[in-house]
Amino acid sequence: MNVQIDSALKRARGYWFVDGFTEMAAGGLFILLAAILLFSGNAPQSSFPHWFLSVAGEIVIAKLIGILAAILVLCWLKDHFTYPRTGFVRGKRITGTRVLVILRNVILFLFLPILALLAVSLLVASATSVLAYMPVWFPVALGLIWAIFFIAAGEWLGLHRFRLLAITMLLAGIAVGIGQFAIGLQAFPANLQPGVLQSSVVESVGRTLASLSFLILISGVILMISGVFTFLRYRKENPAPYAEES
Amino acid sequence: MSGSLQNLTGLDRVIHEPARLLLVALLSSVESADFLFLLKESRLTRGNLSVQLSRLEEAGYLEMEKTFRGKIPHTEYRLTQKGKSAFNQYRKSLGLILK
Repeated sequence: MNVQIDSALKRARGYWFVDGFTEMAAGGLFILLAAILLFSGNAPQSSFPHWFLSVAGEIVIAKLIGILAAILVLCWLKDHFTYPRTGFVRGKRITGTRVLVILRNVILFLFLPILALLAVSLLVASATSVLAYMPVWFPVALGLIWAIFFIAAGEWLGLHRFRLLAITMLLAGIAVGIGQFAIGLQAFPANLQPGVLQSSVVESVGRTLASLSFLILISGVILMISGVFTFLRYRKENPAPYAEES
Repeated sequence: MSGSLQNLTGLDRVIHEPARLLLVALLSSVESADFLFLLKESRLTRGNLSVQLSRLEEAGYLEMEKTFRGKIPHTEYRLTQKGKSAFNQYRKSLGLILK
C-alpha cells in the first residue's frame, strides 16, 4: 500500500473537483457574465447611473440564477456520473468558526490589499486619473488576485492543475492590460496632465468594464478547457461500473 | 527509556496500522464518505477494507449510516468525536517522536 497520507488528505478535500464538472460550470458562468458585460457595454449610455445600475442588477440576477442552476446541474451530474464511479463524499459542514476564518482571510488577503492599492493610487493621483488608468491595471490586478487564489486553493486541495490555471489567469490579466495599453489608454498617472485630453469618468468606467469582461471571458474559456481535459482524463481512468465488470 | 521512545509505545495501535491510519486520515478531512470512495482511495481489497472498517467501528472511532440514494442502498462512514480526538492525539504523539 503505497499511499501518502498527506496526498490522501488533500485528495479527499479536493474530491469535489475530481471530475472537472465544477470548472466547466464555473467557466460557463464566467462566459455568461462576460457576455452580459460585453452586450451591456454596447447599450446606449444616455443616463450613466441608470445604465450602471441596470448592468449591476443584470449581473447579480445572472449570478444568483447561474450559481443556483450550476449547483443543481452539478449535483445531478455527480449523482449519475461521479458517485457511481469513484464514490460519494460529503464535505465538511460549514461551522460559524469556519465562516469567521474565511471572512478574516477574505478581508486580510483581498479587501485590505485592494483598499491599500486604491488608497496609494489616490495619494499619487486624482480620482479621475485613477479611473483613467484603471482599464489597464484593473485586469492585471484581478488576474494576480485570481492567480493567488488558485495557487492557495491548489495547495490546500492538492490539485496541481490549479497552478497552471493560476499562471494562465495571471497571463490573461497581463495580456488584457497590455491590450488596453496598446489601443492607447493611459497606464501611468504621470502621463495624465491637467488640460491634456483625458477620458471622462463614464468612458473610464465603460473601458474598465470592457477590460473586465475580456478577462472574465478568457478566464471562463480557460476554466472550461481545464474542466473538459479533467473530465476526459477522469472518464478514461474511471470507466463506468458495468464496463469495469465486463 | 527516553521520553520519545515512551511516546512511541504509547501510540494508539488501532490507528497506527497503515491501512487504518489512511482510512482515518481520509475521513478526517471530510464529513463522511461511502465504501466505494474509501475503496478507490485506499486501494485495499474489498475484504480487507471491510475488516479495517469493522476494526475502527469496534474501537468506537467510526460510525456507519445506511441510507438510500434513490433506490440504491448507500452506506456512509464518518469519524466519531472519539475517532477525531484519537487521530489528533496520534498526530501530536507522532510529531513529538519525530521532533
